[in-house]
Amino acid sequence: MTTIDVTVSAAVPKVLEAPAKKRPKLAETWWRHVVGIIACLVALFPVWFVASAAFNADQSVSGTSYLPTRFTLHNFGNLLHNTIIDPSSRSKIDAPFLHWFGNTLIIAVITAIGTVLISAMAAYAFSRFRFRGRRMGMLALLLVQMFPALLTVVAIYLIILNVGSIFPQIGLNTYLALILIYLGGAMGVNTWLMKGFFDTIPRELDESARVDGATPAQIFWGVVLPLALPVLAVIGLWSFIFTLNEFVLASAILDTTSHFTLPLGMQGFIQNNYGQLWGPFAAGALLAAIPATLLFAWLQRFIVSGLSQGAVKG
Amino acid sequence: MPRLISAFSGTAGFVVKIVLLSLMNALAVWAAYVLATRHHWTAIAVLAVAAGLIDFLYLARRGTLPAKFLIPGTVLLAAFVLIPIGYTIDVAFTNYSTGHVLTKTQAIQQIEITSLQPAANPITYTMAVARDGSGKLVLLLQNDATKKLYVGTPKGLKPLSPGTATVSGGQIVSATGYTLLHGIQLFDVDQQLQSYVVPVGAAGIRPQSSSTAVELTPTLRYDAKRGVFIRISDGAVFKDDGNGEFAFQGAPLLPGWKTYVGTKNFSSIIHDPTVRQPFLRVFVWTFVFAGATVFFSFAIGLFLAITLDKRGMRFQKLYRSILIIPWAVPGFLSLLVWAGLLNDQFGVVNRIFHINVPWLFDANWARVSCILVSTWLTVPFFFVVSMGALQSIPEELTEAARVDGGGPFQIFRRVTLPLLLVAVGPLLITSFAFNFNNFNNIYLLTRGGPTFTGSGVAGATDILISYTYKLAIASGLGNDYGLAAAITIIIFLITAALSTAGFARTRVLEEVV
Repeated sequence: MTTIDVTVSAAVPKVLEAPAKKRPKLAETWWRHVVGIIACLVALFPVWFVASAAFNADQSVSGTSYLPTRFTLHNFGNLLHNTIIDPSSRSKIDAPFLHWFGNTLIIAVITAIGTVLISAMAAYAFSRFRFRGRRMGMLALLLVQMFPALLTVVAIYLIILNVGSIFPQIGLNTYLALILIYLGGAMGVNTWLMKGFFDTIPRELDESARVDGATPAQIFWGVVLPLALPVLAVIGLWSFIFTLNEFVLASAILDTTSHFTLPLGMQGFIQNNYGQLWGPFAAGALLAAIPATLLFAWLQRFIVSGLSQGAVKG
Repeated sequence: MPRLISAFSGTAGFVVKIVLLSLMNALAVWAAYVLATRHHWTAIAVLAVAAGLIDFLYLARRGTLPAKFLIPGTVLLAAFVLIPIGYTIDVAFTNYSTGHVLTKTQAIQQIEITSLQPAANPITYTMAVARDGSGKLVLLLQNDATKKLYVGTPKGLKPLSPGTATVSGGQIVSATGYTLLHGIQLFDVDQQLQSYVVPVGAAGIRPQSSSTAVELTPTLRYDAKRGVFIRISDGAVFKDDGNGEFAFQGAPLLPGWKTYVGTKNFSSIIHDPTVRQPFLRVFVWTFVFAGATVFFSFAIGLFLAITLDKRGMRFQKLYRSILIIPWAVPGFLSLLVWAGLLNDQFGVVNRIFHINVPWLFDANWARVSCILVSTWLTVPFFFVVSMGALQSIPEELTEAARVDGGGPFQIFRRVTLPLLLVAVGPLLITSFAFNFNNFNNIYLLTRGGPTFTGSGVAGATDILISYTYKLAIASGLGNDYGLAAAITIIIFLITAALSTAGFARTRVLEEVV
C-alpha cells in the first residue's frame, strides 16, 4: 500500500500545488485537527475514566471523576490478594485476579501455538500437494467455518461431560479440554489465509531443496515456515486475541472461580457490583488490557495490509 | 531460526516423529485400558482403528503425504466441530427440551411413579430408614393398623420375622441385621428417599417424612399392548401424540420423552405465535443492529480517514495511534467497562453530562447503547481500512477530475467513493456477518436485556445468537434445545449466504491473503 503511494507521488509532479510547501498551513488544516482531537477524545473516553478510577482511593463508580480525587495504588495491591472486600457489605468476594490472568495466558498461548502449527501444516498440504479431494476439502473448511461455533456449545458440553466421566484429564473444568476445543477450530479460515501466503512463496525454493535431498517435512520446517514467519505471527496473534476474548465456551467448560479466564472472572466480579467494586475492576482491566493492546498495536499493520491488499486486488 | 528448525528435521526429525508416534500409541493403549475397565467396547474399537490408521499414514513410504500434514487438524475438527454440528442438526428435528429429555421407557416409569396418589383411607406405616448387611438402603416399616413389621426394598415388601425388631414409643429403634440411619445420615440420603418406592402390587409405599410412610395407589395404568395410559377413575385414554407425550384431549402427562418431530421446530417459528413473535422481533433487531453498526462505523471511519489523510499534516501518526485504541483493547474489557460507564445510577456518562438517561434499563435506550458501543468498537477498523484504500487510489484520477472542473464533493461522490467501495465492499459484508453474530457485544453489555415481562426468554436487545443461547442454556425458564438448534441452522444459512456474497464479489480467498 505505502509503496504504491510513494511511487505515485514521485512519478506525478505536483503541478497544481505550490512546489516548495512541505507542510500545509494550520489555516487550511485547523478543522482537520478539530475533528481529529474530538475523535481522539471519544476514543479515549472510557480508557481515561478507567485509568482515573484505577488510581482513585474511592472504590465506587460514583466516585469516578476526570482525575483521581485521592491518588492511590491500593486498587492494584488489592489484585494481588485472592479476595477483595466489598466496602459496603464488608463481605469477601472471591477474585483471584492473578489466577485468571495466568489461566488466560496459558490457554491463549498454547492455543495460539497449536493453531499456527495445525493450520500451517494443513495449508502446506493444500498449497504444495495435488491430491484427490483437495478442492472439496478447502470448500468444506470454508462451509464448516460459517456454522456459528458458539451454538454447538450444548453438544460440545455433552461430549466433554461424557468423555470426562471416563477421562477426567480432559473433562469439565480442565484447561486441556478447553484448549482442544479451541484447536478444533484451528483449521478453517486460518488455513485459507496461510495457504494464500504459502502460494506466494516461490516453488523454485522447494525444488532446489528437494534436489539437495530434502524431504517434504524438511522443506516444510526448513524452507516454507521460516519464510512465512510474518503470516504465522499474524495468525498466532489473531488466535491469541480470539481466545483472550472468548466467553461462551469457556463459561460452559470452566466452573470453579480459580480456573476462570479473565472474561469469565471479570464479568462475574463486576456484574452485580458496578456500584461498589469499580476501583479494583478498573485496575484489573487496565492491567489486563496493556499486554494485548501493545501486541496488537505492534502487529496491526500486518493485519491491515493483509486485509486491504486482498480487497484491493479483487 | 531457520537453522534451528532444520536441525530438527533430518535424522533428528525422524526421531521426533517416532517419539511422537510412540507417545500417541502409548496414550491410546492407556485409554483402551481405561475404557476396558468400564466395558466400553465400541469406543475401544474406534480408538484402535483410529490409532492404527494414524500409524499407517505416518509410517507409509508413499501415497499418504498430504494426509501426514492434514491429520492433526482434521482429528480435532472432527471431534469438536463436525460431531457437534451433526448433533445440533440432529437435535433440530427433535423435541429435546426440559420435560423431554428421557427415553420413552424411562418416561413411562416416571409417569407410573408420579401417578401414585394416597387413597381415600390410606394404609400408613411407621418407618425407619436403614441399611442392610450389604449397605443397601431399605425401609423398616410397621403397619399402623395391624402392627405387623416389614422390610421394604425397591423389589417389594417382605415381612420381618417377629422378635427381630424392637419398637418403642411408636418408633422402630433397632432391627437385627440392619443399621438404622439417624440425623445427618438421613439428610445425606434425602435425594434417594424422595424417589424411593416400595412396590406392593400395582400400589407403592413411599416415605412421607423421616419416620412415616404411606401406601399410594396408582391413578394411571399403562397398557403395554396398546401403548397407552388409562386413567383408572374414568377410563380416559392418554395416547402417544407423536410429540413425545401421552395426551388426552390435548392435556399431556409429564414427563415426556425425546423423540423426532420432523420439521415441527421450523414450522413453529412460522405458525406458533408464541414462538413467532419473539423470533421476528429478535430477527429484525439483529439486522438493524448489524446494519446500523456497519453503516455508522463505516461512515464515521471514512469521514475520519478523509479528514486526517492530508499529506504532510502534523500529528497524523499520533491521531492514528490513538484512534486505533478501541480496536486494540480486548473487546470483552471494553464492553464490561462501557456497561459500567452507562450504568444509570452510578454511570460516569450520566454524571459527566448531567443527564439522566436509562441507558441499559429502557428497551429503546438499551438498543441505542448497543449500537453506540459496537460502533465505538468498529470505527477504528473502518478508519484504518479506509485510510489504506484512500492512499491506494492513484492521485492522477482525482487530479484529472479536478482539472475537468469537478468540485470536491463531486470528486468524492463520482471518483473516490466508487473506487473505495470496490476495496472496502467485501469488508463491509464481513463486518456485517461478524456483528450479526456478535454475541459478546450483546451479552457482556446488556445480557440481552431489558426483558419484557411475560414474553419468554427474548430481551429487547437479544440478537439471534444470544436469543438461541438463552433458549438452549441460560434462560432459567427451561431449556429448549430443539428450537435452539433449529434457529442455529437458520443463522448458519444466513451467515453462509452473507459470506458467499462477500467472497463472490472479490474472490478474496482465492488469491489473498
